[in-house]
Amino acid sequence: MAGAEPRAPRFPWPALALLALAGLATLAVSVAVGSVAMSPGQLWGALTGGGSGLHHDLIFTLRGPRALSAFATGGLLALAGGLMQVLLRNPLADPYVLGLSGGAAVGALGAMLAGAGTALVSGSAFAGALVSTLLVFGLAHGVGGWTPTRLLLTGVVVAAGWGAVVTFLLTLGPAERLPGMLYWLMGDLTYAGNPGLPWAVLVVVCLLTVPAGRSLNVLARGPLQAAALGVSVKPLEALVYVLASLLTAVAVTTAGSVGFVGLVVPHLLRLVLGNDQRVILPACVLGGGALLTLADTLARTLMAPQQLPVGVITALLGVPCFLYLLYRSR
Amino acid sequence: MIRPVHFRCCVGLALTVLAMAVCAEPAAPARCVTDDAAREVCLAQPAQRIVSLSPGATELLFDAGAGERVVGAVGFSDFPEAAKKIPRVGSYKRLDLERILALKPDLIIAWRSGNPRAQTERLESLGQTLYYSEPRRFDDVASTLQRFATLAGSEAVGGVRAQRFRDGIDALAKRYRDAAPVSVFYEVWEEPLMTVNGEHLISQVIELCGGRNVFADLPALTPRIGREAVLDADPEAIVAGGMGEENPAWLKPWRKFASLTAVRRDTLFFVPPSTLQRPTPRLLDGAQRLCGQLESARGRR
Repeated sequence: MAGAEPRAPRFPWPALALLALAGLATLAVSVAVGSVAMSPGQLWGALTGGGSGLHHDLIFTLRGPRALSAFATGGLLALAGGLMQVLLRNPLADPYVLGLSGGAAVGALGAMLAGAGTALVSGSAFAGALVSTLLVFGLAHGVGGWTPTRLLLTGVVVAAGWGAVVTFLLTLGPAERLPGMLYWLMGDLTYAGNPGLPWAVLVVVCLLTVPAGRSLNVLARGPLQAAALGVSVKPLEALVYVLASLLTAVAVTTAGSVGFVGLVVPHLLRLVLGNDQRVILPACVLGGGALLTLADTLARTLMAPQQLPVGVITALLGVPCFLYLLYRSR
Repeated sequence: MIRPVHFRCCVGLALTVLAMAVCAEPAAPARCVTDDAAREVCLAQPAQRIVSLSPGATELLFDAGAGERVVGAVGFSDFPEAAKKIPRVGSYKRLDLERILALKPDLIIAWRSGNPRAQTERLESLGQTLYYSEPRRFDDVASTLQRFATLAGSEAVGGVRAQRFRDGIDALAKRYRDAAPVSVFYEVWEEPLMTVNGEHLISQVIELCGGRNVFADLPALTPRIGREAVLDADPEAIVAGGMGEENPAWLKPWRKFASLTAVRRDTLFFVPPSTLQRPTPRLLDGAQRLCGQLESARGRR
């Protein structure tokens, strides 16, 4: 499936435009629905600055920031997943395969165990993600210089190590802290708060990677071919690794480790659009964002007032969709 | 001559057996109570070595006057102060069976919904005497004190404490029986936001004080909810526990919602979680505090 020639004589603008529309639609739905029913008139009133205080609070304090955070997080994860799959030339790669979410989880759960507040938990998760990134990068470099296989193995083993620490922390945790810890591990956008940081990172990384699409296309075919075609492989690989790690770190800091989006959205889009990174990377941002926004809206409204973990919904939406496309593909 | 003797002997033997059979019920196991799993728990003599498998049970044992007989307790058994020094037997969800057996307990107080079933059943199959505790209403707290006291032979202390608790709850019930209802949101936990349904003891405290739990009808005991649902319910009072005993930080996020009645009237209240979240006599302290807070909410209408 990954071997399709990235020929794409015509850039598939319609597909991207459709994805962008889907993204906007999910954002609009996300702002419009919730436990409190609002008529279109009330919605419009609140959006234009009038309306009751309750509706204003709902849109500008609760639903709006959360929907934007969900979109950015989904975009970050899908883009990171797409980049990791190119870097490691492994279809099973996702943003978490190199142990980054494990490091972030250890940071976040450790802070929760110590009774820290939201800001400190996020900061600690980010620090954990960075430590894990540096650890894997340093160890994978080893004595003999690093190869994608070595990077992958190092990352998988470091991830297993973090997994053990996470289990240990969960065992230590007092009963009342466990729900919070488990929701963080499953991914939860309730406390996403300010969507500014994830959006800024998303935009900057997009601007850096999408123009490099051609080189990434070559890299996806193997380092030797890439080198033969004049791509400086090592710096490019290092850059991709650093950027993907940054994306993932910001995503887990915003919403905990939301699974599935980073693995399946890139594949899903490749099955439909072909494997041209110039198309796939921006499509990942839009598709991942739309999927997570939709999933989060469902998570908070399906059984309202009870809330579901968003990871459950991303999987329930994505699995059948992906399997169907995979079954249909040649 | 032989026959009568033999006959008398037989009669004597039969009477003895009969006497033993008759006396067996009241005399030999002097202490029998029915636990919260509706099982009969009997001890031949007062329990001398008790192991407690939940922090709440440890607290109740101390209140029942059996504190110094507790030879082992699970982690987080932190009240009263003396409970912290009791040797630990693992956490309530992962028991250290070897250590429990090594303590040679004559009574184990298990937590029916908290301890892993496989482990408590293993303890039973090893011949241990288990009492399953699960206090769910006010009267369960009082009757648990009495039952623990019966098993430990400290009836005098346990009876007084149980009566004091019952009287305290009755006094609150009487005082607030006809008070104007106040709609209340109780926040058990902040991240994720969690509350209690009507089954929960905390919700019973709210009702005792003349309050009405806005999420009483949800199916789960401690459901996870969204902030928006609270804005929708718009309770007259918001009551929160916290991470520490004097840490009302969880009330702060609510203040930015000016549309909430509770924010406009400044009826955001903090109750130390340990006085409401454990089914022990301290519940009376929490209930008194909460009732006072709801009364002040009535005054701000």
